[in-house]
Amino acid sequence: MNDRMVQVNQMRSDTDLAAELRRLGIGMTVSEARKVVSILGRDPTIVELFIFDIEWSEHCSYKSSRKILKKYFSFEASNVVLGTGEDAGIVDFTSVNGIEYAIVIAHESHNHPSQVLPVEGAATGIGGIVRDVDCMGAHVCAVADGLRFGDPDGTFKPRTRWILNGVVDGIWQYGNALGVPNLAGDVYFDSSFDDNCLVNVVCMGIVPRNRIIRSRVPEGAKTRDFDLILVGKPTDASGFGGVTFASEILDEKEDDRTIGAVQVHDPFLKNILITHKANRMVWDLAFEKGIPIGMKDLGGGGLACASSEICSAGGVGAEIHLDRVHTSMENLPPEVIACGETQERFIFAVPPEFTDSVLNIYNSVWELPKEANGACARVIGRTLRDPRYRLFHNGELVCDAPIHEITSGILYDRESKPLHWEGREPADTRMDITDALSMIMASLNGCSRHPVYRHYDTEVQGCALIRPGEADAGIIVPLFHTHGSRAGIALSVDGNPFIGEIDPYWSGAVAVAEAMRNVVASGAIPRALTDCLNYGNPEKSGAFWQFEQGVRGIADAAVKLWQYDTDREPVPIVSGNVSFYNESALGQAIKPSPIVACAGVIRDAGKAMTLHLKEPGNRIVLIGDRRDEMGGSAYYRTCFKQTGTQSVTVDFERERKDMHAVIALISRNLVRSCHDISDGGLLVCLAEMCLSTRNPPGLGAKLIVPGNITISPERYLFTECGGFLLEIPVSQIELAERIAADFDSESVDLGEVISRPEIHIVQHERTLAQISMTDIHRKWIGILKEYIS
Amino acid sequence: MNQDIISIAVVQYPGTNCEFETSAAVAAAGMNAVVFRWNADPGELSGFDGYVLPGGFSYQDRVRAGAIAAKKRITETLIRQAEQGKPILGICNGAQILIETGMVPGIVWGEIQMALAKNNTGDRMGYHCDWVFIRSEPQDNPGCFNLNCRSGDIIPIPVAHAEGRFTTQSYKLLNDLTRHSQIGFKYCTVSGEIDPDFPVNPSGSVLNIAGLYNTEGNVMAFMPHPERASWMYQVPMDLPGIYGKHRMESHLNQSCFNTPGPGLTIFSSMKQFILNRRKS
Repeated sequence: MNDRMVQVNQMRSDTDLAAELRRLGIGMTVSEARKVVSILGRDPTIVELFIFDIEWSEHCSYKSSRKILKKYFSFEASNVVLGTGEDAGIVDFTSVNGIEYAIVIAHESHNHPSQVLPVEGAATGIGGIVRDVDCMGAHVCAVADGLRFGDPDGTFKPRTRWILNGVVDGIWQYGNALGVPNLAGDVYFDSSFDDNCLVNVVCMGIVPRNRIIRSRVPEGAKTRDFDLILVGKPTDASGFGGVTFASEILDEKEDDRTIGAVQVHDPFLKNILITHKANRMVWDLAFEKGIPIGMKDLGGGGLACASSEICSAGGVGAEIHLDRVHTSMENLPPEVIACGETQERFIFAVPPEFTDSVLNIYNSVWELPKEANGACARVIGRTLRDPRYRLFHNGELVCDAPIHEITSGILYDRESKPLHWEGREPADTRMDITDALSMIMASLNGCSRHPVYRHYDTEVQGCALIRPGEADAGIIVPLFHTHGSRAGIALSVDGNPFIGEIDPYWSGAVAVAEAMRNVVASGAIPRALTDCLNYGNPEKSGAFWQFEQGVRGIADAAVKLWQYDTDREPVPIVSGNVSFYNESALGQAIKPSPIVACAGVIRDAGKAMTLHLKEPGNRIVLIGDRRDEMGGSAYYRTCFKQTGTQSVTVDFERERKDMHAVIALISRNLVRSCHDISDGGLLVCLAEMCLSTRNPPGLGAKLIVPGNITISPERYLFTECGGFLLEIPVSQIELAERIAADFDSESVDLGEVISRPEIHIVQHERTLAQISMTDIHRKWIGILKEYIS
Repeated sequence: MNQDIISIAVVQYPGTNCEFETSAAVAAAGMNAVVFRWNADPGELSGFDGYVLPGGFSYQDRVRAGAIAAKKRITETLIRQAEQGKPILGICNGAQILIETGMVPGIVWGEIQMALAKNNTGDRMGYHCDWVFIRSEPQDNPGCFNLNCRSGDIIPIPVAHAEGRFTTQSYKLLNDLTRHSQIGFKYCTVSGEIDPDFPVNPSGSVLNIAGLYNTEGNVMAFMPHPERASWMYQVPMDLPGIYGKHRMESHLNQSCFNTPGPGLTIFSSMKQFILNRRKS
């Protein structure tokens, strides 16, 4: 250790040290740098400082959020196979031919990279989350995405449209080439995302329970050293500083640095590694021979992060020779080799006698070096029984630190102070119902998402049973081709961004309720949740309070909307991510945006529901309370340009009973179509049931607004309280009502399906509106096309 | 070789991503499917009765989609097998590979006469994934993959590609294609009309071509994905036409997993062709 040391001790003042850290491109604070010195007992090398910087970044260490997450997310459920803590969470799925299959799911954000380089940012977001799921030994079978963009007609119109199109391109270019279907997602537009878009990605896979690969060095390494093998793309300088970049506010003046921090994707190489190909061959061989292995993907923080975490989790140290890492450029500095975030890489820890087999599979059988320039598998070091993390570069020791100090991170107590919401109620909230519905259905946040998802391959792998646009959740039957199993997995992603500033607690709770409701409406039973918590700067007390409230809301909903058919077992949160510092350089934070994904199981996916009306004469039944909670509603925002004051809430007791009743009704084949009530409220829900992207409007509905409601018809029709509309044949109505009552849920007969494409709304036998679906359809399907080329 | 078993090699190039579901669909049609990796011994290919080049992004679509795979030794071996009359189905990227080899349309031997260009439908370009309808075209001598269709049959099927526009600069070639009845399937409306515009014609393909044969009718470059329409559960419930109705009925009587989908006819035709060939 010599001239590449950073003199932290001797620096005269905090100001000097801060300037030096900045010059080096290190994001940590002065006091954190001094803490590194106290851990090492000496000045750090540049490499060490970069490694601690990454491991202590918000992105890797959750230093602001960990305490809150621990406090609220500590509940458990018996269907969890593996909770948070590794690359992905795992829950039970189904048993087929004596094999217990589990669902693997992970959720991440790639917000900042997508803002500066949309195509690459979004693509590597998909790439990273797919690796997280794959490396658990899973077959990756679906991705989904929650997207938030700025106002494409607003102040930053050209840039916002460029980001929108770039992100969509990045998602399809990567996911389609990889061969993983895009099953679900949502898209919202709001000017608070002008300077900071959100690209949240979810990935799902399946794995036999007895074939899970852990992100830790196996037990055997405590008695003899295991080899560490690096597989994949040659390391380059791309993505250097990516994690630190994710943990800061974006500053346009620093474009060069931030663009360099975005990774470059290679779905082609990834395809050879995953989906039943090279990685699977390694796992199968290991299981066949009974050889213990550990595997982890290289994501944020690159090699240093992955290698230290996989070894530390196994209770061992590591010795890695950076010069043995295959690179695509000459003379890469050791800190770049250690911390760069080059994509499409994995690390294995295997016993030495298995090493040749692994190298052979990648280098010869699948010809990595031949098919992808410079890619290969290589031994780069070994585990150490001594729990130190040692990196060598050209024979010189460039990092030597206690491994658990690197991976245990640091913790902060952040100040939390409530923000007062200064929204207003619109002066007059009456409007012609036809006009209001037309405005909402033709608004950017209310129109069809088909122009976005038509770019995504929703059908590759041949397992898709419900695609985006057909129901509230996507459904796949991933074991049908291999085992003839009809068991399906439903996936939905949700998070209304317009509630958070009115009430951040309810925005968390509503996101969970909506994601679960989507799964329920498709006929599946919610079994797991993941979340990505997108907020502003945690060093600001208001933003931190919003985060804390969101977490509390999510936790309450997950616990109180417990799993169907269980003894009050919460719906477990098995994976998640916190994304802070989502604000513009001018300090304007995004709207608080907890985005929640829900995975559900449907035993016989042949019973899965779509949302389109099926047959004239069937009854339309409402399940779900209509309360006067108009804050953040599409009605207020679109028709009156106001956000309002009373956020939509969740009546947990009622919501749970309603969900469980709907699950029972669908599983007993009483329902012909089902759609959940969320954005836009009951009337938008009904309108969507009349609209298909594949068909001109054909069916409509006669809707009878009950005479005994305590709120105005407009409010009844447009409030966004959760609920369901179900299409039920007349012959089944009595039975359906009885079953709903068994669950202590209330069903209200609201009218019938008619054979004309219109919605006829009546109260007290007086027509309130007669709305042609043909006009609405044209606008609904056409609006977003104009923004996406 | 067992005379009762029909063996199909589903060829896997680096970047192929539809080989497993394609194999499942081949199996569903009653044939035996083997995923055949690009670097396996090409000599072993001669043992198969037919071949499927599945969809994906072989060799990362470098140069042009399908261009690299078309030059590989394994593909040359396939050309020799096709010359013996064995059937080859190229789906999506597989179709792009067949066009790049010149096998399709194959009027002038060894010459690349057409291209699968970028989708272009007026104001729209880029990747498009959705269900469309195709029509089985009248042929003097039905091609291998039309055998189980009647002329005019309408088949709903998904497309998913960014470069699927059959195109050529030669008007004469277009006449020849029609004269030799090399067009197996055309994009059409739900009721079978040929509309050249999006979304009926999802790529802007010339003459609405969805599937195109070589002159012998045993090799077809086919842009849609029959393996994604081989079981009824894969069909969307809001699909217009008779298949949407069938799908809804299958929901009511719980039969969507054991009813064939509209695309299976492509694979069952292939099987029929191989059986016919064995008899003759």
